[in-house]
Amino acid sequence: MGIVLKFEKREVSSWVSALAPYASIPIAFLVMAIALYLTGYDPLLGFTSFFHGAFLSQLGLVTSLARSTAFLLMAVGIGLALNAGVLNIGGEGQYIIGAIVATAIVITTQDFLPPLVSLILALTGSLVAGALWALVAGVLKAYMGVNEVITTIMMNILAFRLLQWVLRGPLKNPLSEAWPMSPPLKPHLLELVPGTTFNIGFLLALLVAILTQFILYKTTIGYKIRITGANVDAALYGGINVKNIVILAFMYSGALCGLAGAVDILGVFHFLYEGISIGLGYTSVVVALVGRSVPVLIIPASLMFGCIYNGFTHLQSALGVSYTLSKAIEGVIYLVILVIHLSTEYRVKVLVR
Amino acid sequence: MDIKRERDEYIVEMKGITKRFPGVLALDKVDFNIKRGEIVALLGENGAGKTTLMNILYGLYVPDEGEIYVDGVEVSIRSPADAIRLGINMVHQQFMLIENFTVLENIVLGSKLLGVKLDYRRAVEECNKISKALGFSIPLQRRVSELSAGERQRVEIVKALIRKPRVLILDEPTSVLTPQEVKELFKLLRDLKGRGISVVFISHKLNEVLEIADRIVVLRRGKKVGELSRELADPLLLAKMMVGKETLITLNKSTASVGDVVLLVKDLTVYGDDQRVAVNNVSLRVRRGEIVGIAGVAGNGQKELAEAIYGLRPVASGKIFLDGVDVTKMSIKDRLKLGISYVPQDRIRYGVVRAFTLIDNVLIDRVDEEHFNKKLLFFNLIDVKKVTKHAEELIMKYEIVAPHAYVKAGTLSGGNIQRLILARELERAPKLMIAEEPTAGLDIKATEYIRQKLLDMKASGVGILLISSDLSEIFQLSDIIAVMYNGEIVGVFKPEEISYEDIGFYMTGLYKMPREEVLKRWESY
Repeated sequence: MGIVLKFEKREVSSWVSALAPYASIPIAFLVMAIALYLTGYDPLLGFTSFFHGAFLSQLGLVTSLARSTAFLLMAVGIGLALNAGVLNIGGEGQYIIGAIVATAIVITTQDFLPPLVSLILALTGSLVAGALWALVAGVLKAYMGVNEVITTIMMNILAFRLLQWVLRGPLKNPLSEAWPMSPPLKPHLLELVPGTTFNIGFLLALLVAILTQFILYKTTIGYKIRITGANVDAALYGGINVKNIVILAFMYSGALCGLAGAVDILGVFHFLYEGISIGLGYTSVVVALVGRSVPVLIIPASLMFGCIYNGFTHLQSALGVSYTLSKAIEGVIYLVILVIHLSTEYRVKVLVR
Repeated sequence: MDIKRERDEYIVEMKGITKRFPGVLALDKVDFNIKRGEIVALLGENGAGKTTLMNILYGLYVPDEGEIYVDGVEVSIRSPADAIRLGINMVHQQFMLIENFTVLENIVLGSKLLGVKLDYRRAVEECNKISKALGFSIPLQRRVSELSAGERQRVEIVKALIRKPRVLILDEPTSVLTPQEVKELFKLLRDLKGRGISVVFISHKLNEVLEIADRIVVLRRGKKVGELSRELADPLLLAKMMVGKETLITLNKSTASVGDVVLLVKDLTVYGDDQRVAVNNVSLRVRRGEIVGIAGVAGNGQKELAEAIYGLRPVASGKIFLDGVDVTKMSIKDRLKLGISYVPQDRIRYGVVRAFTLIDNVLIDRVDEEHFNKKLLFFNLIDVKKVTKHAEELIMKYEIVAPHAYVKAGTLSGGNIQRLILARELERAPKLMIAEEPTAGLDIKATEYIRQKLLDMKASGVGILLISSDLSEIFQLSDIIAVMYNGEIVGVFKPEEISYEDIGFYMTGLYKMPREEVLKRWESY
C-alpha cells in the first residue's frame, strides 16, 4: 500500500496556460488572509494596504512598475536561457555584478563626463560584466558538462562577497563610517513620473523584451537556441554548434540580469549597498516560468510580480508585520502561483494502491 | 467462478473504441478481442491506428468512447499500472527504457521484484531463465545507453515476460531482429501460447503475420476493415485490405553510369559508447550514381560507421574523404556544405524536433542556407514566407499526410515523419546520402515510395551509402554489397554474385573474406 502522485502532461490551449497564473490570484489571496489571521493581524486591513501599495494608489502603481522593471529584464534573460535548455539561477549574482560595475563607472566618470555619457557607459558596462560573469557557468556547462544550477549559485555567493568587499574597500563612501555604502551617484535615469522611482529603465526593459521575442522567433540564431533546448540531438545532427549556443544563451541571460542591476542602481537606489541583494534574481526564475519563457508573456507576468512585491512592502509597513513574516507570506504566494501554473500543464493524480 | 471463466472465453474484449487526437480521428468504433492462448495479429499501414488501439489497452491513452472488458468484467484502464495489474503487458516499438540504468535495473523496474529490498539474485535467475528460453543472452550489467537497437528490443521483451503477463502486446517486434532471431521469437511466442498466454502481434509484414497468427485483424485509417482466421487469409487479400488498392509495384532500377568517388573511407576505426572498438579498420568507397549497401545484423558497428562519416562521432584512426576533401576532423556544419546528408535510423531522436512545426523541421540542417535567410540590419532572419512555402511544397510533393504545415511533427505517424526527413534531405540536393535503415518500421506503401526515391536519387548522380539489416532491401537497391560483422567488413560482393543464404553466413560471422580480398574487390568493382 502506498500513495503515489502521478503527473501527466496535458494538452491545454496556449491561452488557458498563459492566463492560468492570473486566475490563481484569488487563491493566493485566500492563503494570504489565512496566514495573516493566524499570525494575529487583520486580514482586511492587510488587503487594503496591499492593494493600495500594489496599484490602487498612484504612488503604489508607479513604484510597482519600477519594481517590475528588474523582474522583466531578468526573467526575459532567464527565459531565453530556458529556451536553450539551460537554467540560469545566477540572476542574483549577475544583478549584483551589474550594480557594482555601474556604480564604479559612474563614480569614476561623473565628475568630468556629461551625465548622459556616464549613464550610457554604466549601462553598457553592466551588460558586459553580467555577460562575463555568466560566461563562467556557460563554459563549464558547455565544455565540461558541469551542472549550471550549482555553478550559478556558487557564482551568486561569490558576487555577494565581492559586493561586501567593494563597499568596505574601493567603493566605500568615506563619509559613511558605520554603514557600508558607496558615495551617492549624481546622474540618474530619467524619471517618468517626477519624484518617484519609476524611470525610463521600464521602457528600456519593454524594448529589450520585444527585441528578445524578435530574436527568438524570427532570427536564425533564435532558431538555433530553440532547437538546442527542444532536442539537442537534432541540433547536433543539424550541424549546430551546441556548445556555442549554450554559452551565448548564458551570456545573453547574464547581460540582461547585469543590466537590471544597473537600472535599479541608477534609477531606484542611487547608491550601492548590501540591501540591493534581496533575492530578485531567484524570484525572476519564477517570473520566467509563469511567462512560459516567452518574452511577450513575461511582460504581464513581471507586472504582476512587481505589484505583489510592492503590495507586500506596503502591507509590511502598514500592519507593522515583521520583514521576515511578510517575506514568508510573499514566498507562499509565489509558490501558490507556480503550483497552479504547473497544474494547468499537468494532470495530477493521487493513486492509492 | 470457474464456470464464469469457461463461458467468457475472451480474456480481453474492446468494444466500439473511438479515439480522437487534435484534427485526427485515430480510431473509429473499433472492436477487438482475444482469447486465452491465442495469437492475434493486428495488421495495418503506419498511421492505421494499431499502436493507438493497443496503447489504449495498455492504459497509455484513455478512449473517448467504448468499453473494455477483461474476463468479461468491464474495466477502466487509466494507466499502465492498471494494465499490468490486469496481466496486460506491452513491448513498444520505440523503446521505453531508462538509458542511465543497467539492463538488470530496467528489468526489475515495475516488476513485482521491486519490493522494499531489491531481490537482485532472484531477478538475475528469472532473467537467465527467460533468456535461455529465448535463446539469446542479455548483458544484465551493461547500461542501456550502450546497447544497440536490437539489444534494447530484447531487453524490452524480457522485461515484459518477467512480469508473467496473461496478455502480451508486441508492437512491430521483428523490425530490428535478424531472420534467425525472428524464428526464435516465433518459437517463443508459440511456447507462450501453449502456456495459455495471449499475444497481440502488431505488424505490417504479411509473411510474418501469416506465419504466426491464429487470427488477423486488419485496420485501415482508424477503422477495422477485416478479420480473418489464418486459414482463410492470403497475402494478396490482406495487402488489398491494408492499403485499399493493389500495391505490388516493381521498382524502376535504372543503371546510372557511375562517376567519381564521392566518399572514401580509409582504415577507419571508431569507438562505441561503451569505449570498445565498434568500427574496426574499415575501408570503403561510394561513387556518384551508385548505391553501396552495408548489410549486417543491427549492432555490428553500422550505426557508429554512419555517425563517424557524418561527424556525430569522433574518429579514433583512419581518414574520411568527402568529394576528395579530408573531412576526418571537420564539423558537421562544414560537411553539410560539402553535400553530405544523413537519414538516421533513430528518426525521432535525430531527424525531427517533435515540438516544432513542420515548417521549423524543414530547417533543422538548413537554417544557415542563404536562400532561406534575409538580412535586417545586423540580424540574420529566417525568411518565414519562403520556408513556409517550401514546407507546403514538400507536403504536396512527398505526399506527407498532415492537415497543414503548422502542425507539430510529433503528431505525424512514423511513415510520415520519415517522408518529411527524406523530403528535407532530398531537397538539399546532396552529393552523398547515408541512408540508415530508411524503411524500418514503415508500411508497404511508404517503403516502396522511399526505395524508389533512393533509386531516383542514384539515377540523378547521388552516391548513396545504404545501411540496412533488411536483406531484401539490400538486394533490391544495392550495386555493391558490403557485409559488416563485429565492426569489420567481412565481404564485398555484387548482388548477382551472391545468394541470400550466403550473405546470411557472412552476416553471422560464419564466413569471412580476407582483408586483402576485400580491398582488392573495392578496387576492381
